[in-house]
Amino acid sequence: MHLLTGLVIVVMAAALVRAVAPGKPILTAIAGGIAAAALLVAFHQDLAGTDFWAGTIGFLAILSALIVVIHPNPMVSVLSLILNLICLALFYLLLQAQTLAILQVIVYAGAIMVLFVFVIMLLNLRAEEGLRIGRGVQRWGAILGGAGFAALLLWALRHRQGHAWMEPGRHAAEFGTAGSLGGLLFGQYVFATEAASVLLIAAMVGAVLLAKRRLD
Amino acid sequence: MDPRLPALLIESSAKIALIFFVNLTAVAYLTWLERRVSAWIQDRRGPNRVGPFGLLQPLADGIKFIFKEAITPPQAHVVLYLLAPVIIFVPAMATFSVIPFGPTLELFGRTIPLHVADVDSGVLVILGLSSLGVYGVALAGWSSNNKYSLLGGLRSSAQLISYEMALGFSIVGVLMATGSLRLTDVVTHQMEHGWNILWQFPGFLIFLISAFAETNRLPFDLPEAESELVAGYHTEYSGMRFSMFYMAEYANMITASALAVTMYFGGYHVPGLQALNLSPNLAAIVQVAAFAAKTAVFLFIYVWVRWTLPRFRYDQLMNLGWKGLLPLAMAHILWVAFIVLMGWA
Repeated sequence: MHLLTGLVIVVMAAALVRAVAPGKPILTAIAGGIAAAALLVAFHQDLAGTDFWAGTIGFLAILSALIVVIHPNPMVSVLSLILNLICLALFYLLLQAQTLAILQVIVYAGAIMVLFVFVIMLLNLRAEEGLRIGRGVQRWGAILGGAGFAALLLWALRHRQGHAWMEPGRHAAEFGTAGSLGGLLFGQYVFATEAASVLLIAAMVGAVLLAKRRLD
Repeated sequence: MDPRLPALLIESSAKIALIFFVNLTAVAYLTWLERRVSAWIQDRRGPNRVGPFGLLQPLADGIKFIFKEAITPPQAHVVLYLLAPVIIFVPAMATFSVIPFGPTLELFGRTIPLHVADVDSGVLVILGLSSLGVYGVALAGWSSNNKYSLLGGLRSSAQLISYEMALGFSIVGVLMATGSLRLTDVVTHQMEHGWNILWQFPGFLIFLISAFAETNRLPFDLPEAESELVAGYHTEYSGMRFSMFYMAEYANMITASALAVTMYFGGYHVPGLQALNLSPNLAAIVQVAAFAAKTAVFLFIYVWVRWTLPRFRYDQLMNLGWKGLLPLAMAHILWVAFIVLMGWA
């Protein structure tokens, strides 16, 4: 994990330098690049492990999720939400669920988020004033919820059973292929699949009805 | 670490470099082909000054693009403005990685399959990557802060979503016949059972029309309709950034053509090649050449159609996509399902 830790430190240091002295972006980028390259050469054996990739993707996922909430520009928020969804797809890939990974990209990053972008373009939203900090109940609720979630995370991390779920060769070669996924969806879980599709159709008809009613 | 890993890495990098080089060269010469064929269709001469038959024209164009001033509009969102050409270019290049362009080659005692990645859900990878290209167009339109760009970006995202549906449904027929999402399986199935075009012509037609729309080519080039939107989503771009949009468009054309060949025209299959008793490597080279030739035919059709048909109106575009192609594609799925069920395929 030395490589990942080092890279995170380099990125944070670069961000800090950028914030303190915004005048020399190219110099900062070059220095950061050299430091990152040195780390890569020194700890290149980390690259072959799943730990490094899981950590990198996790870091990117958290970073992009933070940007979604914090950034004042709605378009940047949407884009980093897309990055976040792609990170989730990469997690599926690490878990050897390859079909699920690519479906995640098609359905969420490729189809649903296009509609988000579309709506933002249509509404012509200007940059908002950024993250507003709520008052009273909202603030205390957020603090309590955040603390609770942090405690839950810590507890889960302490009691985790290693991470053998990501080791290569743990699953059969068939695992995660389109064939095995389809077999499960239309075999063992066929009722749930069909129920979900009926539900989606009902929702779609309802949406059309609501949209039509407003017209007349 | 796996001891086979270094050799595999070298092999894959070599194939990626080869595909990148061939694709970029093909893109450059497609611009030449486009101008020569359009000139031929319109009874002009076309570029014929730089090199024999104007063959060095793409090189001159490239040098010109590099030395042009790269303008960034003062009111643009700079980061997204610079990111947009990259977002559109990367998926356009990456989609080719799962398309098999030949059988295996025996080199240095290794059996080298002629595709970068043989992914189990290869078709989905292509659809997924190409669906990410929409963001490049939409972002270019939005970040330029120009009403023509914005309209072009909006139109384009609507168009791409609409025709993605028909494109996806038209492929389902082929996938049902093959019983696999793996592109190498699609090719080997056609080798054994005949090309899909022989009995899936409606599906092929829907695929071709949707592919024209997906690549923003005439008669579906509304996102950049020059008579109403100046140049649409890339109005504000200049220099190499502008050329990246064009390179992405032509790279998408190449991928779409290669996909059409793989899906419906047997991929790299050459009928009757086995009767010639060629050595395996020579046969592989012949098949790669056949694949390139088939793809080139489709690229010519792209250019041919562009200079033959006028642009659709926007409502015609939407009607064709949603009320024409989509129901047709669904009917085609039923028809193919019936044939597969009866065991006639």
